[in-house]
Amino acid sequence: MHYESPVRNPLILGDKSYSEITNDIAKPIESKAPRSWWIAFSIAFVMFMWGLGCILYTIGTGIGVWGLNKTVDWAWDITNFVWWVGIGHAGTLISAVLLLFRQKWRMAINRSAEAMTIFSVIQAGLFPLIHMGRIWNAYWVMPIPNQYGSLWVNFNSPLLWDVFAISTYLTVSTVFWYVGLIPDFAMIRDRAINPVQKHIYKILSFGWGGQAKHWQRFEEVSLVLAGLATPLVLSVHTIVSFDFATSVIPGWHTTIFPPYFVAGAIFSGFAMVQTLLLIVRKIFKMEDYINIEHIEMMNIVIMVTGSIVGVAYITELVIAWYSGVEYEQYAFLNRATGPYWWAYWSMMTCNVFSPQFMWSKKLRTNLIFTFVISIVVNIGMWFERFVIIVTSIHRDYLPSSWSMFSPTFVDIGIYIGTIGFFFVLFLLYARTFPVIAQAELKTILKSSGENFKKHHNEHGTH
Amino acid sequence: MTENNKYWRGIEEQSNPDLTKKLADNEFATAPETLDFIGDDNVGEAETSRRDFLKFMGFTTAAATLAACEAPIVESIPYVVKPDSLTPGLPSFYATSMFDGQDYASLLIKTREGRPILVQPNCEAAFNTCTNARLQSSVLNLYDGARLRGPKVNKKDSSWATAISQAKSMISDTSVLLTPTIISPSLKKAIETLNVKHITFDAISQSKRLDVYEELLGKRALPSVSLLNAHVVVGLGADFLGDYDGQRFGADYANRRKPSPEMLRHIQIEAGMSISGANADLRVKARVSEYELVLGHIYNYIAKKVGQPTLKLYPLREDIKMQVLNSAQELFDAAQHGLIVSSFNSVTGEKLALAINQMIGSSCIDTSNLVYLNSSKDEEIGQLIIDVAEGKVDTLITLDINPAHDITGLDLSKVNLVAISEREDETASQAKVILPLSHYLESWGDFIPKDGVYSVAQPTINPLFDSKSAIEILFTLSGKNATAKELLQESVEDLGLAKGWNSLLHDGFAETSAGKTLSFSDLTIIDITDVAIGKPLTELEFYTYSKTGMGIGKYANNPWAFELPDPITRLSWDNYLVMSAADAVKLGVENWAESNGAMNGTTVNLKVNGVVLTNVAIWVQPGQTEGTIGMALGFGRTMAGKVGNNIGWNALQLLPSDESYAAVETISATENEHEFASVQLAHTMMGRKIVNEVNLPDYLNKPASEWNERPTFESFRGPLQPSEANLWDDHDHVTSHMWNLSIDLNACDGCGACIVACHLENNVPIVGKDEVRRHRDMHWLRIDRYYSSDMTPEKAKKEGVGAIEKYAKMEVPSESPSVTFMPVMCVQCNHAPCETVCPVGATVHSREGLNHMAYNRCIGTRYCANNCPYKVRRFNWFNYKGNDKFADVNPSQDDYGRMVLNPDVTVRSRGVIEKCSMCIQSIQMGKLKAKKAGRPLKEGDIDIACLNSCGSDAIVFGDINNPENKINEKKEDPRMYYLLEEIGTQPSVFYQTKVRNRA
Repeated sequence: MHYESPVRNPLILGDKSYSEITNDIAKPIESKAPRSWWIAFSIAFVMFMWGLGCILYTIGTGIGVWGLNKTVDWAWDITNFVWWVGIGHAGTLISAVLLLFRQKWRMAINRSAEAMTIFSVIQAGLFPLIHMGRIWNAYWVMPIPNQYGSLWVNFNSPLLWDVFAISTYLTVSTVFWYVGLIPDFAMIRDRAINPVQKHIYKILSFGWGGQAKHWQRFEEVSLVLAGLATPLVLSVHTIVSFDFATSVIPGWHTTIFPPYFVAGAIFSGFAMVQTLLLIVRKIFKMEDYINIEHIEMMNIVIMVTGSIVGVAYITELVIAWYSGVEYEQYAFLNRATGPYWWAYWSMMTCNVFSPQFMWSKKLRTNLIFTFVISIVVNIGMWFERFVIIVTSIHRDYLPSSWSMFSPTFVDIGIYIGTIGFFFVLFLLYARTFPVIAQAELKTILKSSGENFKKHHNEHGTH
Repeated sequence: MTENNKYWRGIEEQSNPDLTKKLADNEFATAPETLDFIGDDNVGEAETSRRDFLKFMGFTTAAATLAACEAPIVESIPYVVKPDSLTPGLPSFYATSMFDGQDYASLLIKTREGRPILVQPNCEAAFNTCTNARLQSSVLNLYDGARLRGPKVNKKDSSWATAISQAKSMISDTSVLLTPTIISPSLKKAIETLNVKHITFDAISQSKRLDVYEELLGKRALPSVSLLNAHVVVGLGADFLGDYDGQRFGADYANRRKPSPEMLRHIQIEAGMSISGANADLRVKARVSEYELVLGHIYNYIAKKVGQPTLKLYPLREDIKMQVLNSAQELFDAAQHGLIVSSFNSVTGEKLALAINQMIGSSCIDTSNLVYLNSSKDEEIGQLIIDVAEGKVDTLITLDINPAHDITGLDLSKVNLVAISEREDETASQAKVILPLSHYLESWGDFIPKDGVYSVAQPTINPLFDSKSAIEILFTLSGKNATAKELLQESVEDLGLAKGWNSLLHDGFAETSAGKTLSFSDLTIIDITDVAIGKPLTELEFYTYSKTGMGIGKYANNPWAFELPDPITRLSWDNYLVMSAADAVKLGVENWAESNGAMNGTTVNLKVNGVVLTNVAIWVQPGQTEGTIGMALGFGRTMAGKVGNNIGWNALQLLPSDESYAAVETISATENEHEFASVQLAHTMMGRKIVNEVNLPDYLNKPASEWNERPTFESFRGPLQPSEANLWDDHDHVTSHMWNLSIDLNACDGCGACIVACHLENNVPIVGKDEVRRHRDMHWLRIDRYYSSDMTPEKAKKEGVGAIEKYAKMEVPSESPSVTFMPVMCVQCNHAPCETVCPVGATVHSREGLNHMAYNRCIGTRYCANNCPYKVRRFNWFNYKGNDKFADVNPSQDDYGRMVLNPDVTVRSRGVIEKCSMCIQSIQMGKLKAKKAGRPLKEGDIDIACLNSCGSDAIVFGDINNPENKINEKKEDPRMYYLLEEIGTQPSVFYQTKVRNRA
């Protein structure tokens, strides 16, 4: 018997046939890059090179070229690290958790979200490396057997946990992403005319033949990896939050951090996905695949996580007041009213107030407004990390050591550089990878049945 | 048949004997005719092929290139015969003394492999046994690359013989020898032999005070003062804990400030905030031009009580009147235990102070043993300026003095100048003949600083450059040829000491017969009826003062002296005008923090005594008397050397050394800004219990729990101490040594000697003004200075002030603040936040209660520094020993400066964290010493640098597991508390509550 869901709207618009989907998705790879791509790529590349220069300058001269001082020993470096890790959060959530929950709308966005995850984790991973005074000894954080007898890493250190958390996350995300890419690479391989291109995609597609057995294995691996990746959604940012939560510094030493960081990460990650996809769907004309419903769904996630973050902020304040601890109370009062009040209120405005507009359906289905909010949220989330890191340590226990922080051109250059690097990777990806998981997408083409019926009516049964 | 037997070596030999023969003949191939075209006209016919040529060329080029890459050769030359006194790796100590015109001290010099590297006080000596920050830094002056390398004649390098004969030819009857105060008997003898007019000049003149005593006692010297018997001391403009007239009271003061019912009460009446004022129980803000008037009123008050005639005086300002009169009452009540000290250059002032001390019968002044550390006569200097201007002086010989900088109005172009100087400074650069003077660590010398005290200086190293000691140079000039040692031995013989030469050198000092002047009680009562006290100024007045780091400017090329933050302002690398907040508002000037925390300030144009200085920095100083602005001496040098040139302004230019103050003619704010290097941005304790302070009556009468409340945590087991509420496993604190350190906040006067000592001992990098400005100073040990604020949590509660307003107001220091000092180094937590967070385990706990730092393991994540509640960890932001930015300031970038480095301590590389190790090298050395001697460690085996340099005994170090160690007593003291105990870090360093003698 045939059953049709009366409520679900179609996830793919525009009466697509299978071959149209294939054509649409293969188009950016098979056609010449548009002018706008070259302009964007050039800008991103210049930013990347500038950042690279700043990184090399730092490594050559010393961390002193940054704006840090004896009191504020972390600032933009770790702010950027946490920010990028946070952005990298949405990919796994969308691909793994939504897969497990059978949320089919994820299929239009999961490829790009995962790509974004990997590229932003690469940016994130840069910072713990370059913030080291002696980067050439960075491998000492790995528990590698050595000739120094019992010399071992310190398993008590949250920084060490970070090493494991981030590397695990990067590995699992990359494998998950790649597995999903295999049928799509095969599709491009099959269509490629240029022998070199064909050969490359042949290697990349691991000999995919589209047999039933292949599909069965594909589904199984996806499910297993989704199962593996799901805990990582919670663990990565939980562990990143331990960098602060396990310390003794007022404003850092907070038990609410793990859930608060995870919510914040999903929040910023979705905002970043939103930013990127709004551009991608426009440039590559994929409005039919990434349609207003996707955007609305993501806006709802942004609104919910934004509210969770807001509750966390207020909880922190209440607990500081309730704790009766002098230092704790001052730390939070100083956040809101001290020299960095502007950072705190930027954070509050961007993260807590701005997503509340999404309660209105009119606003959350407005593309321009969504785009603006998605950027505002990421600005806010950058400020959140800045507020947590800098405003906590710049005035801690002993007023004699209180200080301030101001970035140098190198701090700014490296940050801009990572944004450039991210977009270099993303733009290269958009030109060479299928940006939508077309193989999976085809499985939901008929989910509403409307198209089928229309087709059926027009052409009769055959 | 046998001869037909033929053996072949291979089948080829048999089958082809010709070829075999040919090959055998050619077994040793002749060398190819290499390069036989060279010198041949027919190059084309030469046998050398082009191919060969290229091969040879390639080889030679490669060989030449490789030869050019010379591996660095580090030469180490072992002793052929080891000197008896020297074992590589072990330090030798020499007793010596020094006097540089401002500081006199008996010292122990630590040398390693023949290099003096550390200055310690010679505690057994009789006079001035504690060091200060300047004396600690003095060893670096020795290794100053800017010192003269040899004699110069007419600015050209010359030999001693030529220079001396040239100088001799210039000396005539009208020559004048200008020196700082001379207390060396040998040098005095040399000067007598030289037979020229001798004038002394003190940059901080005590001339008018000396005049008073010269008239009274017939000797140009000042009475010695002791605080040991004092119950009340009133300091009037006399910073006797910082810079008084050469006598240092730190030790006595600390001794008398031990909390007890008889604890010394200290009242300080002064214009600018000095170290003494900061330590006082009551501080009265008076203008410098009011000092005499204040003395007059104290005199009148007491005179009325004892029934003596009083003076007719202008009234005192209402706001200080009661404080001054109460002080007078306290002095009167203290009677023979009272003391008033004043040190401003005024006959009236000194007479009044003396008269007051006589009226109350003070037993703290000793006029039978006089102190000779000052001698200049203002009139002589004035006359010299006139004589020089009129051309009456043909040759001026300067000895270790810089009149071009210090004496305003002296026109050196009018005289022929012979400069005996360590460096080619502002004066020496104008001289016809420059005779290089040795540093005190290279010289023989002797001193009589005070009646009954004789001390000697012995060289601890051969002169680094072609220089000679003052005694030698002056005797040579007067025609006597002998070595300084012989000359010194002669003087010693003349004195007829009981001590032999060897024990004199060993001890560094000897006691001689005491002075024979009248004792204080036998002194005639001074007549003050003729004293006239003028009206204080009403306009803004300018005065000068001396900073603990720079002094009068002998350290103007010494990076340690510059980097040491001023104990009060906490600014380094600068001098500036200190000004009260009220005046700053009137003038429209201010200080503010830039976005990176660096301090900036408005500058002013200033005219005093007709001299204009432009764009002078202003520092708004809490506690500064309204209507006064002060400036530190010793800055504004132009030819001090690469470290000190063009830093700050020369205060003596505005106010000659003989004047105490002058009216400011004009002052106006400019558009320009000045950049400060401030190490402390917040100045108050924000209502937190950081420096625990209690007033004496409470200390005496109330239980410790009331004034030294220890934090407790509520728990299901009832209230717990932080050490009991604990997540971690405790380290074993019993089996081995357990090093603890106590800092007595009552004894610490904030002088900063320990900071410099720590720099010396631990090779702490110097980072220069720009880096200090960015809050990247590397001090392992710092002395935090806090001002009290008018807003307190109690007051806020009472008045219902909201939290935001309360904190904002608490950030503002009071206009008349109570000041506290707190030395903070790594407190060696036993549950250290830094240890848990290091990913590579570079900082770990020792079995002896210390927190170790393994530089080699550190990868520089700086997490430990963030997580340190005490903020004592320092990061090597740059390669300080190689980066060009630090070439001028960091001694380790200089071939000479490097010699001051302590070979026992690693110089840290870029990118690692460093911090106080509690002088781990000394602990190991002490343990080794005891082990070699086959006995347990005892108190005093271990030399901790800060402890050693502290004249006030504020620091006690020891093994808490050894019941005989004094540290146990300190730990049980009811005053004991831990800094930030509530975090549960369980420090090994603890503090003793500060007690102020006030109600």
